[in-house]
Amino acid sequence: MTDLTIIDPAGTRHALTADTALSLMEAIRDSGIGGIIAECGGTAACATCHVFIGEALAATLGAPDEHELGMLDFAAIPPRPDSRLSCQIRVADLPPGAVITLPETQL
Amino acid sequence: MPREEMMAKPLPVVEDVSLAAMFDDPYPTYERLRREAPVAWLKPAGIALITTFDDMIAIERDHETFPANDPRSLQIRSMGHTLMRRDGEDHTTERSALVRTFSPPMVKSHWAPLFQAIVDEQIAAIRDQGAMDLFGAYCAPIAGRALAEVIGIPDVDWRDMLWWSQALIDATGNYGDLPEPWERCARASAGIDAAIDAHAERWRAQPNPSALSAMLAAGFPIEKIRANIKVAIGGGMNEPRDAIGTLTLALLENPEQRVAWQADPALRRRAFEEAVRWVAPIGMYPRSVARDVVLSDTLLPAGTPIGLVAGSACRDERKFGQTSGLYDLNRPQAQHLAFGSGPHFCLGAWMARMLVGEMAVPALFETLPNLRLDPAQPAVWGGWVFRGPLSLPVHWDA
Repeated sequence: MTDLTIIDPAGTRHALTADTALSLMEAIRDSGIGGIIAECGGTAACATCHVFIGEALAATLGAPDEHELGMLDFAAIPPRPDSRLSCQIRVADLPPGAVITLPETQL
Repeated sequence: MPREEMMAKPLPVVEDVSLAAMFDDPYPTYERLRREAPVAWLKPAGIALITTFDDMIAIERDHETFPANDPRSLQIRSMGHTLMRRDGEDHTTERSALVRTFSPPMVKSHWAPLFQAIVDEQIAAIRDQGAMDLFGAYCAPIAGRALAEVIGIPDVDWRDMLWWSQALIDATGNYGDLPEPWERCARASAGIDAAIDAHAERWRAQPNPSALSAMLAAGFPIEKIRANIKVAIGGGMNEPRDAIGTLTLALLENPEQRVAWQADPALRRRAFEEAVRWVAPIGMYPRSVARDVVLSDTLLPAGTPIGLVAGSACRDERKFGQTSGLYDLNRPQAQHLAFGSGPHFCLGAWMARMLVGEMAVPALFETLPNLRLDPAQPAVWGGWVFRGPLSLPVHWDA
C-alpha cells in the first residue's frame, strides 16, 4: 500500500492509501473520491482519467508514450506539462506522499 | 450457496411486452423495467434485459463473470469471430492493431479532411432541392462513405455499405433462425470479402491509416481480417447514420437550444453527446453469464444470455434526473453509455464525434437556410436494438 494525497476537482485534499496492484486510475476511481470517469476502463481510449502529477513526479516517471500524449490532447481540460492519463500509471511506481491533482472536469 | 444468492429473488419474466411495441417506442417499457425489474427476462426476445446504468458499468468491469465471448453468439455465425466477441488478452491484442486507425489524433489529422470533403459533396448534391428526406439523401451516404474510407475499402459505393450493414445486423439478430436473413448475410459477406481482396493489394503496396491496411501490416490471418471488417461495417454504418438524424431532429425540435448551438461552436461536442445519450444508436448489446451472479438483488443463473440496454441506461433517472427522457444540452454533464464502457468502449467514438458532431450536422444548419421539419410528414423513429429516425423529411429555403 502507498499513501497518496488526491486533490479533488473542488480543491479538497484527500488521503488515499492505495493498493500497489492497481493503476492510479483504479485506485482513485474505486476510492469514492469523485473526479475520475475512465469510460474505457483503463485502455487509453477515452481521455477521461486525466490527472496532474506535478513537475517533479513527471520528471521522475519520464514522458508518456506517443499514444498517451496524443490522447491527452483530447482531454476536456487542456493538458499541462505534468498531465497524465492515470490509467497508464501504476500505484507501484509512485513514491509515498505523491500528490495527484484532479482537473476541474473529465467531460 | 452463498448467502447473497440465497437472499436474491429469482429472475422475473416479462411476457406482456411485444417486440413490435419495442420497435415503435421502447422507452416506456425501459422506464417500467428500471422501476420494477432492472434485471428481467424478456420472454419474446429470449434474453435477460439489464436496464440500469450502475449494473451496466458493473458488468463491463467484470469480463470474467460476464464474457463477451459466447459460442452461441449469432454474431460469430454472421460475421466470424470478431474482436467484439473476445475477452482479456485475446481482445486487447487484437484491438491494439486497430487503435491507431481510430485514435483521435488520426481522426483529426487524417480522416477529418476526407470527412469534410464527403460532407461538402453531399450538401452540394441536395442544397438546391428545398425538401428532402435526410435519411437517404444525407445521413446514409455520409455515414457509408466515411466508414468505407476508415475501414480501407473506399471504392465501395455507400449503397452497398448500407445493405451490407443491414444484412449483417439482421442476421446477427435472427434469433428466430429464419432462412432469408442468413441468405442475405451470405451475399453481403461475399461482397465484403471481394472488396477486401480488391483493396488489399493497394494497401500492401502503399499502406495507409485504414483498418484494413493496419490489419494487413499486423499480419492478421484473412479470417480475422474479414471478421473485423464485418463488425466494423455492422457496428459503424447505421450508428453514425442514426446519430446524424437524431442530433438534427433534436435541434429542430428544440428551437431555443438550436439557436444557442448555432451561435457557439464550443457547444457542438456537448450537443452530440446529449443526442446519443437521449437516443442511443445501439440500444442493446449482448453478453453472457459465466457463473451464477446477483445483480440488482436478482439471481442470474450461469448461462443466461443478457442484453445490456444502453438505450435505457442512458435515461436512468438516478444518473440523469427526472428529465432524462428530454433532449437538453444544458443538463449537467455526466458519463453516458452510448459508446459502452470498459475494454470494448467504442473504437469509432472519436470518428463519430468528428463526423457527426463537428461536420455533418453543423453543415446542414449552416448551408440550408431556414431548415425546418416538414409539417405534413413527421419524422419516424424506429428500433430498439438499434434506434434512430428512419425518415426525416425537412424543408429549407432553396
